[in-house]
Amino acid sequence: MVEHTLHSISLFYPEIIIVVTLCVIIIADLVVKKKNHTAGWILMGGFGLAGITVLLQAGRNESVFYDMVAVDPFALFFKVLLLLSGIFIVFFSVNSDELKAYKSRIGEYYMLLAGMMLGMLLMVGSTNLLLMYLAFEVTSISSYVLVGFIKKSLRSSESSMKYIIYGAVSSGVMLYGISLLIGITGATDIYGINAALLAGVDQPLILNISILMIIVGLGFKITVVPFHFWAPDVYEGAPMTIAAILAVASKIAAFGMLIRFFSVSFINAEGISAAGVWQIFDALHWDLLLGAMAAMAMIVGNLTALMQDNIKRMLAYSSIAHAGYLLMGVVILTEQGISSILIYLFIYLFMNLGAFYVAMLFSNKVNTESIEAYKGLGHRAPLEGVAMTIFLVSLTGLPPTGGFIAKLYIFGAAISAGWIWLVAIAGITTVISLFYYIRVVRNMYFFEPETGAKRLHFTFGSKIILLLMLIPTLLLGVYFTPLLEFAQSSIKILGLN
Amino acid sequence: MELTAILFYLFSILTVGAAAVMVFSRNIVHSAFALMFALVGVASLYVLLYADFLAATQLLVYVGGILILILFGVMLTTQGHNLNFKSVSVNLIPASILSVTAAGLLIFAFTTTAWAFIEPVERSETVYELGMLLMGDYILPFIIVGVLLLIAIIGAILMSTRLATTSDTTSSDLTE
Repeated sequence: MVEHTLHSISLFYPEIIIVVTLCVIIIADLVVKKKNHTAGWILMGGFGLAGITVLLQAGRNESVFYDMVAVDPFALFFKVLLLLSGIFIVFFSVNSDELKAYKSRIGEYYMLLAGMMLGMLLMVGSTNLLLMYLAFEVTSISSYVLVGFIKKSLRSSESSMKYIIYGAVSSGVMLYGISLLIGITGATDIYGINAALLAGVDQPLILNISILMIIVGLGFKITVVPFHFWAPDVYEGAPMTIAAILAVASKIAAFGMLIRFFSVSFINAEGISAAGVWQIFDALHWDLLLGAMAAMAMIVGNLTALMQDNIKRMLAYSSIAHAGYLLMGVVILTEQGISSILIYLFIYLFMNLGAFYVAMLFSNKVNTESIEAYKGLGHRAPLEGVAMTIFLVSLTGLPPTGGFIAKLYIFGAAISAGWIWLVAIAGITTVISLFYYIRVVRNMYFFEPETGAKRLHFTFGSKIILLLMLIPTLLLGVYFTPLLEFAQSSIKILGLN
Repeated sequence: MELTAILFYLFSILTVGAAAVMVFSRNIVHSAFALMFALVGVASLYVLLYADFLAATQLLVYVGGILILILFGVMLTTQGHNLNFKSVSVNLIPASILSVTAAGLLIFAFTTTAWAFIEPVERSETVYELGMLLMGDYILPFIIVGVLLLIAIIGAILMSTRLATTSDTTSSDLTE
């Protein structure tokens, strides 16, 4: 028993490093009297170190801590993504003006960020429903507080309140669903559930109800219609950095958990085919239900985004739409579908974080989040304007940016799986999305700046961070073979085809 | 009916009834006392399942600790202890339809399902086995719960403390 635990610890360094970083920040907060972003740099070091240890796990495929956590290529892919976005968020936070007024408590901000990262890393790795739920709660509880971090802003407190209520209800429903699933199958780890289901659990009704309840919780995290209502209000009230991490990292983690849960629990041993995964359920067409959810997310997200003037609200609705595109891959649940989700998430990380970052830079300088007030900003801040244009074009999915590749693969996977109507909706809504993304670009460039408006100056460091997101967004549009191979090798262990 | 079954239904009714009183009562002190009965009811259900350690913990932590804290909080706040709070109900009809449908569906599903029963084994003590499990199979969740509580404490402190009036002061805002 002791040997197994010790062996598990040797494969658990990334998470341990995050927890140790959390403790170091607590101590540093007591010792360092000068209130600045010391904690942020410590956290960045922690994320970097955890990233290195994650990369050292390449090629491992083991189950640690008594089948609680899987250390496999699939988890590795998601952990790399999560830590990368974590590092970017710390960069954003150091550059954020919004957080400057809260220097006396910035240490706690980074502590909670570390906690959130721990939860997300566990979400993508866990193979046991008990740990899945715990990881889900660690992520949620830290993000509830972070959303309300700007206490002087009423909107921030309001959005935190909304987030807590909505989050508590949906995770409660999810917990109920988990307990029902355990009640029917008598197992808490997803391999055991799979074995019990394959042995023939003749309870279609209660099984479907429990999965539906679990989807409520996961749907809340990936903000897919009809569980999306919180997103615009929460993003609008939260600090820009936290809105960005909610839109990117917490969605990535939820997708990791969703894919693992579905593909491992419900895979059919003999019929590992496109339809085989869903065949374990009779009575309810799960693929159709998820497909409808994806379609609704695309339609509602894109159409509502047309009417938004606040850039954060617009990005919130756009992230709902992107959740819809991503969910298409889960509907198909073939190797091609899942690998295109992974590709999409990787590109989405850079382009969406980039859009949030430029919006944050503009809000730092001109103190506005209104798209109308972006008029002429392209002339006043050339590099940032061009970068924003590229990020938005990429979010639309036009070549030669990474967003095009992302959409190409996921649409292609859906077509080859025969989901023509879903692809048609996705295509039409993509065209609609062009309208609201380009509106921002039009406001930035097609209007002269007001007379007397000076050029905006940004620090050298902030430009470097911008380029770190801009270059991958462009590069992945033309040279994406390594990403493709990385994604395909990451999902081999799921045994799909 | 067996004695255990009678006790089970008795305590279940106590739990659900007290929970309903807690939610629907407009007097916060009544709610707090109803919560106590609900928690005691849950503790008794644990006893019926031979989970004596869990039952004792439930009594100590929830009834003995948290509930007393809530009551003290109510008494020490300046608003007076029998404050009737305004509860606004919106979307009454859609919410009722949804909850009645959900309840109907769940009751139907529960009664028609053959559950994976595990006959509770009569045990003299559970603490030793529980300890072995927590240090063996469930060591990771056990530790993660610890981290979760740490994060929750940090979050609670962050949410409940007031900000210093001048934002640039170096003094900790905990002193305010």
